[in-house]
Amino acid sequence: MLARDAENLFWMGRYLERAEDTARLLDVTYHGLLEATVAEERTAWRGVLHAVGLDEAAREARTPITAAAVSAYLVDDRSNPGSILSAVEAARENARTVRESLSTEVWQSLNEFCLSLRSRNLRTDVEHQPHELYGFVRKQCQTVAGVATETLARDEGWRFLKLGWNLERAEWSSRLLRVRQQYLEASGFHEWVGTLRSASALEAYRRAHRTSMDPLDVVSFLLLSRTFPRSVFFAVRTAEDALRMLQGEDEPGVALRLAGRLRAELEFADIREIMDGDLEAELFRFESAIRGVSAAVGAQYFTSAHDFDLHTVQVFPGEGNR
Amino acid sequence: MPTVAAGLFDDYDPETFFDEVFSGPGEVREHYTGLLDRLRRFSAEDLARRERRRDAAFRSQGITFTVYEEDEGIERTFPMDLLPRVITAAEWEVIESGLVQRVTALNRFLDDLYVGERAAVHDGVIPWWLVTSSDGFSREAFGIPVPLGARCLVAGIDLVRDAEGRFCVLEDNLRSPSGISYVVENRVAMTRLLPNVFTDAPVRPVDHYGRSLLGALSRVAPPAAGDTPTVVVLTPGVFNSAYFEHVFLAAHMGVELVEGRDLVVDDHVLYMRTTRGLKRVDVVYRRIDDSFLDPVTFRPDSTLGVPGLMAAARSGNVTICNAVGNGVADDKAVYAYVPQMIEYYLGERPILPNVDTYLLWEPEQLEFVLANLDRLVIKPVAEAGGYGITIGPKATEAELEACRADILADPRNWIAQEVVSLSRHPTLIDDHLEGRHIDLRPFVLTSDTVEVIPGGLTRVAMRKGSLVVNSSQGGGSKDTWVLAARPTGEAEGDTDAAAATPLLEVTGDVEVTS
Repeated sequence: MLARDAENLFWMGRYLERAEDTARLLDVTYHGLLEATVAEERTAWRGVLHAVGLDEAAREARTPITAAAVSAYLVDDRSNPGSILSAVEAARENARTVRESLSTEVWQSLNEFCLSLRSRNLRTDVEHQPHELYGFVRKQCQTVAGVATETLARDEGWRFLKLGWNLERAEWSSRLLRVRQQYLEASGFHEWVGTLRSASALEAYRRAHRTSMDPLDVVSFLLLSRTFPRSVFFAVRTAEDALRMLQGEDEPGVALRLAGRLRAELEFADIREIMDGDLEAELFRFESAIRGVSAAVGAQYFTSAHDFDLHTVQVFPGEGNR
Repeated sequence: MPTVAAGLFDDYDPETFFDEVFSGPGEVREHYTGLLDRLRRFSAEDLARRERRRDAAFRSQGITFTVYEEDEGIERTFPMDLLPRVITAAEWEVIESGLVQRVTALNRFLDDLYVGERAAVHDGVIPWWLVTSSDGFSREAFGIPVPLGARCLVAGIDLVRDAEGRFCVLEDNLRSPSGISYVVENRVAMTRLLPNVFTDAPVRPVDHYGRSLLGALSRVAPPAAGDTPTVVVLTPGVFNSAYFEHVFLAAHMGVELVEGRDLVVDDHVLYMRTTRGLKRVDVVYRRIDDSFLDPVTFRPDSTLGVPGLMAAARSGNVTICNAVGNGVADDKAVYAYVPQMIEYYLGERPILPNVDTYLLWEPEQLEFVLANLDRLVIKPVAEAGGYGITIGPKATEAELEACRADILADPRNWIAQEVVSLSRHPTLIDDHLEGRHIDLRPFVLTSDTVEVIPGGLTRVAMRKGSLVVNSSQGGGSKDTWVLAARPTGEAEGDTDAAAATPLLEVTGDVEVTS
């Protein structure tokens, strides 16, 4: 398929995942803080900005660290390319440029999502019915994902979409963990519940571990679970599978090699070893590795350059400021 | 007939125009009776509800065109009126044969001009200076062959009906005529919104367009391309106002929709950049103007095109459709010579007449036109989309003066035509029907045969009294039904009407019971 179409599908997947994860994080943070003190609240919202990688951008935009301001910045601020509205519009724009390789149903569900998001009064919703708003975003993202799963042929385009979706998810899940453990040193029961909830993992976790909130179990679940689709390992493995299908039987390209190496590391990791060492540094390393896979995908498939040296790949295609 | 919604048609006044539905007040033309009987069962509120459903459907499917206002692109839907326009089998037979004849002659002219002997010029059918002074004339196109001589592979010919109901050609569009996507999407929308109005009408289908187009494009591929040439649609990109149509074309053919940056020419061969490296391209159906196509040959500042594309075409390694330089033949002054072209190349009388046209470099015609500006239509020769037109009877004194000055400054750049009082069709305006002027743009595909898609885009001038139907000027559209000839006891394939049409659309639809 066209390299540009592949890139657009990849990014469509990433943006949709980003919108969904942002909505979930905001939802959990907002409702978790209703019983908190002002100081806790500021810490938590700063953590949110850090988690989405926008703490510096928000400082430059002079966003006050309050629930209302941070939420608005992450929901409907068009000047913030990481806001939900910007991400959904970017996903729609990506879809529009590859519409001929999508099913009508996928395009239509994404287009309707974007149009109805635009027509909402987002500021009022953030203030008065945040749970409804975030639920709407989550549901719409999942609708697009479901329609895509049910209507797209399992061809190259599908694999690039899946690849973008899962690399974004893997990175996001790792970052969420890293920020949680960094900002909530004395993480207690409620914080871990919130963390699990923002990954839609709470119910699955309970079925595995009942009501125990041992940090080791929580981190292990979100990082290494083999059954939960939002764990870092699961997302990396799904991305690796997509790459393997793209690659064919020939010698593995750089992207697949990097993804495979990371997957193996996660698959055979010892959670006690990770917890006893420097968890934050370790998570940070995973995130870099995930970004490395993305960069290699870009260089290998989107630029049509045949010879490339891994050590010269710095740019993250389509996104310069990361 | 019990009329639940008495009144929908009752107050309708066809006035003095040729009305498509009514031959006089209250007198319905025969081919509309069935449709009207069915429509009478709907109340104004029923129709209004369907209009809302239509708007929501078009918007959520993103069937839109982009209008640019103050640098901001606004996505608009192209309003489709709920009353379809109906064309009888007999009328269509005339239109179809006239279009085949006209487009054949135009292709012969273009081939003669760019790769032939220029016989029509030598034999005095059309003046050389007129050809070379046309904006659409392209020296770069000389010597670039198109297989089968199909330089104009897709044509959109604008037809109007005059006061007597005669179909005439208003203008030819031989570069990148738009609108076929609306023809197909309007039909889909109609069958969903008003399924019941179809049941006794043998309406000929239109949704095979993608297959016909891909077939035609494949047949003009360079011989070296083999049996399954790689065809692409070249778009200027997502910001182009007709982007939806480009997507539609690529999707209905199942081919890649590419932008200039996806293509690269290496050693006179065209390739597209894919995830698995470069892939050779044989035929480009381009929806980019000539001047943006290749920065090496044309505008050096164009980023939409592909450097080296023209050289690749000249080497016979890729076919560009429509060919470069077609604009010379849809120049509105050259238009006046098309009837002579038909006689010259085909030895036939034109089946579809032109509208009477005055050429302003001829002193007597100029004198006549200047004396009668207030009752003629003045058009610039190279514009499309209804831009720059002055309609004498509706113009102010100042506009006529400006028009006069424009003509005198460059008579070659303008033509004058008699005002054709376009036919009208009842159109849903708010909660009742009013007559609105319409035209018809059928689409004609040329490869080894010439195929006309049944019907075409009926455009509606939505503003009361307006004669300008272009979408860029606030026009709307109608689903356009060409009725199949009723089977006369024999198999449908044996009738004349069926024999004259390509094989694809004569399918089971004509069997529909009434």
